[in-house]
Amino acid sequence: MPTITVNGARRDVQTPPDTPLLYVLRNDLEISSPQFGCGMAQCGSCSVLLDGKEIRSCITPLSAIGDKEVTTLEGLPARWAKQQRAPASVTALHPIQEAWIVEQTPLCGFCQSGMMIKATELLEQVASPTVADIKAAFTTSGPSAHLCRCGSYTAIIEAVQRAAKLMGKGR
Amino acid sequence: MAYPNSPVNIFGARLTRREMVRAGGVLIVGFGIFGTACSNRGNSTARNSLDATLPGSWIEIRPDNTILIRTGKSDFGQGSTYTAYRQIVAEELNASIEQITTVVAGDTDLTPDGSGAFDFLGSGMPNIRKAAAYTYQALLDLAERRLGVPKDQLSASDGVVSGGGKSMMYGDLLKGQQVKLTIPVSGNLTSLMGLAITGDPPLKPVRQYKIIGKSYQNSITASKVAAKEQWITDVRLPGMLHARMVHPKTIGSTLLSAGQVDKNRFPTAQLVVKGNLVGVVATTEWEAIRAAQQVAGDTRWSEWKGLPGHTNLFTHLRKEADWQSTPISKSDKNKGDVAPVLAGASKKLAASYELPFMKHAPIGPTIAVADVRPGGAVYVYTHNQSPQALRGQLAQMLGSSIDQIVIRSFPGAGHYGRSNGGNAGAEDEAVLLSKAVGKPVRVQWMRPEDFQWSTQSPAAYSDVEIALDVKGKIVAYQADHYMPAMQDDRPIGAVLAGLPTMSAPDAPSSGNGIQDPWLYDTVPALLERGHGTMQIGQKASPIAVGLRDHSMRTPGQFQQNFPRELAISEAAALAGADAIQFRIDHTKDARVIGVLKAVREAAGWEPRPSHTKQSARGSTPLRGRGVSAMLRSATYWAGICEIAVVPETGAITVEKYTIAVDPGIIVNPFQLKRQVEGGAVMGVSHALLEEARFNESGITSSDWFSYPILKMADVPEIKVVLINRPEVGTYGGGSEAANALAAPAIAAALHDATGKIAHRLPLRPEYVQALLRT
Repeated sequence: MPTITVNGARRDVQTPPDTPLLYVLRNDLEISSPQFGCGMAQCGSCSVLLDGKEIRSCITPLSAIGDKEVTTLEGLPARWAKQQRAPASVTALHPIQEAWIVEQTPLCGFCQSGMMIKATELLEQVASPTVADIKAAFTTSGPSAHLCRCGSYTAIIEAVQRAAKLMGKGR
Repeated sequence: MAYPNSPVNIFGARLTRREMVRAGGVLIVGFGIFGTACSNRGNSTARNSLDATLPGSWIEIRPDNTILIRTGKSDFGQGSTYTAYRQIVAEELNASIEQITTVVAGDTDLTPDGSGAFDFLGSGMPNIRKAAAYTYQALLDLAERRLGVPKDQLSASDGVVSGGGKSMMYGDLLKGQQVKLTIPVSGNLTSLMGLAITGDPPLKPVRQYKIIGKSYQNSITASKVAAKEQWITDVRLPGMLHARMVHPKTIGSTLLSAGQVDKNRFPTAQLVVKGNLVGVVATTEWEAIRAAQQVAGDTRWSEWKGLPGHTNLFTHLRKEADWQSTPISKSDKNKGDVAPVLAGASKKLAASYELPFMKHAPIGPTIAVADVRPGGAVYVYTHNQSPQALRGQLAQMLGSSIDQIVIRSFPGAGHYGRSNGGNAGAEDEAVLLSKAVGKPVRVQWMRPEDFQWSTQSPAAYSDVEIALDVKGKIVAYQADHYMPAMQDDRPIGAVLAGLPTMSAPDAPSSGNGIQDPWLYDTVPALLERGHGTMQIGQKASPIAVGLRDHSMRTPGQFQQNFPRELAISEAAALAGADAIQFRIDHTKDARVIGVLKAVREAAGWEPRPSHTKQSARGSTPLRGRGVSAMLRSATYWAGICEIAVVPETGAITVEKYTIAVDPGIIVNPFQLKRQVEGGAVMGVSHALLEEARFNESGITSSDWFSYPILKMADVPEIKVVLINRPEVGTYGGGSEAANALAAPAIAAALHDATGKIAHRLPLRPEYVQALLRT
């Protein structure tokens, strides 16, 4: 039985190895933040981190995960706590999530799990990104641009900037 | 003093004590069909199954002084039900916003009034405001009896009523009794507009507002961001099967033979066929996807070619479409006789404008879970803008009563109008599959299906003529707007299965009215006409499908405002006038002038005529600016787009987009700003990129490469100026219009930059490049 590591926990899955990770997470492990948007790695709704790098779970088969660690939106608070060497709290959010709330970033919010995953990848690499850095990260750094139909890009840029400040204080 | 047993009249509403209770107590605000609506008994108004004695009222005040509100309008990402609605109710009730602990939206068995997720603020008078206003009067009446203080000496604040040296919390007023306030409504629960509260309860004076005007957070945002929200995509029922559809090869194909499931590869998969409806269910989602792909490969459909193809679209619309069978609509602002003025004009502009089909294009494809129970009860879980209307459509499809059908609403991917008349795509198919297999079924379309089998915003063209006098003032304006029927609310699964649906929007078509209110009231002669025709391909399709059209954000008005505002900018250029001053000089409406002046100042727009003679060659970007204006849902708008265009490539970059918005009273400034920003981004996307392409057989745009939308790198600097006008006394909506303002402003900016006018959308590089070479 394949075992994968998701949000710090080892999880057994009884799913055919060609099954895209998205369906494993959503249907077998009940980790529902990655959304099905296109199934073709064109939109970013299904993004998760694989050892800190953003991947598209809709086209990544279970068999490709191996020993690498999957992090989803659900796992961001614990990821941040671990990075801070702080005890995990049941109520605390990752600074990126806090910033997303303060900036009231989501409209419908369907794409925002993927957006916060992309923001995490960016801010773990670049502590104080410029607007150009942010635009590049969300447009050209991954398999495709991260798409938002509601047009929340402006709010995302502001939320990433706010999150960078919050994370800077945390460090 | 306890409440009397006989009903009390509260400004036309009825307040009754239902029973004395030992503990607790509650005020329930439901509705009754009063007055003229009584004669409708027997139609669906009277048949609605919601009894106000059930927990389905607009407002409940509980003994612990908390308040619950319910609305038939499901949230679609603008958050109005969780922000503005809480603020409006708290304000009218003189309660605190924190007292409103629960918002129930869109569930047909739990909410009272139906109607769609659009125009939430109801031009200042949404149902929820009137419900709250009636409720406040009822609370004063209760307080008068409980405190023994005359009503006119009572006032309330933060949910506590006081006067004559006494005070009491709302919750305590109700202790020991269950009181029902029945308020008058008219309308039809399952129609587009649903039920409307009638009568005129006293409203709180605007000068006393304490809660409206503040930037409260959207109460659902935190749960979405924290991954705690249950989305429609997360709904799982016991025994539920996953399904994928096998839609016909073309939009006019009929089924010749359905493929069989390869049971060796897909042991749990099951084929369902009903007419031209083909679906595959399986126990896991991945098996359903792969089995549906296998079945699709083995399924045979008839060939069909009945569409003109997008390259011939406007030739078809101009030369082949029947515009005669639909009565021509006319603007109620039409005046004077334009013909002689146009004939004798000193300077004249005559131009035609073309807009493509566009997709609602939600980021996630349509999805629904249906559970058809053995006794005939139907539960549908969906993300839908008009759950009561969907209920009516499903009842019609099944030949059952709406009383058998419950729709539950969940957050999902915003689809901007697609389901405002009842269905988003997957609901009826989920119902038919669930009925066939006797288990709950979850249907999710794949990305290409969501582009190719959903409805679209209709293509349109307009012919505009403008006469200028010797002083460069507009003396006549004539516009003929041509657009196929727009509101095709037929559930596609029911159509394919050959089951009953509402009619296709035939001629006389819907949506050909004048949707774009005229702003330039000093123009002496005006003639605006709207022409309608059937949907393209509908008549030729053996299954009457055709290119199904549906309202999309700023529906119809987008199609009419682009030609008008671009033509006004062209006329300003022809007159040698500044495009903003030219607009101001043609109106007396202080709010139109107000938004134009505000946007001018915010953008630092220096008055000058549009450049008309530039060399549009080479690789150096040329810069230009354009303006547009609009009145929609009681809100006034003006926008300025500043662009750079590279003539060699035709690539346009919108560098800055400034918007001024005057909705009257601003309910929630920060939420409004975010909505406007989102609309602005969508508008740039529409203008630069969006076109649903099609061949002779159907839509060929099938993914995000063939239907691109704006990416973050291409977002302009956006500046939003909010104009609060309490003296207006009402609050207008902010979630539409911003998406329509961009296109005419960008096209005017292109003219300013290059001297060339783009008369069609989208302004993709290859089109702009070719235009600049002419």
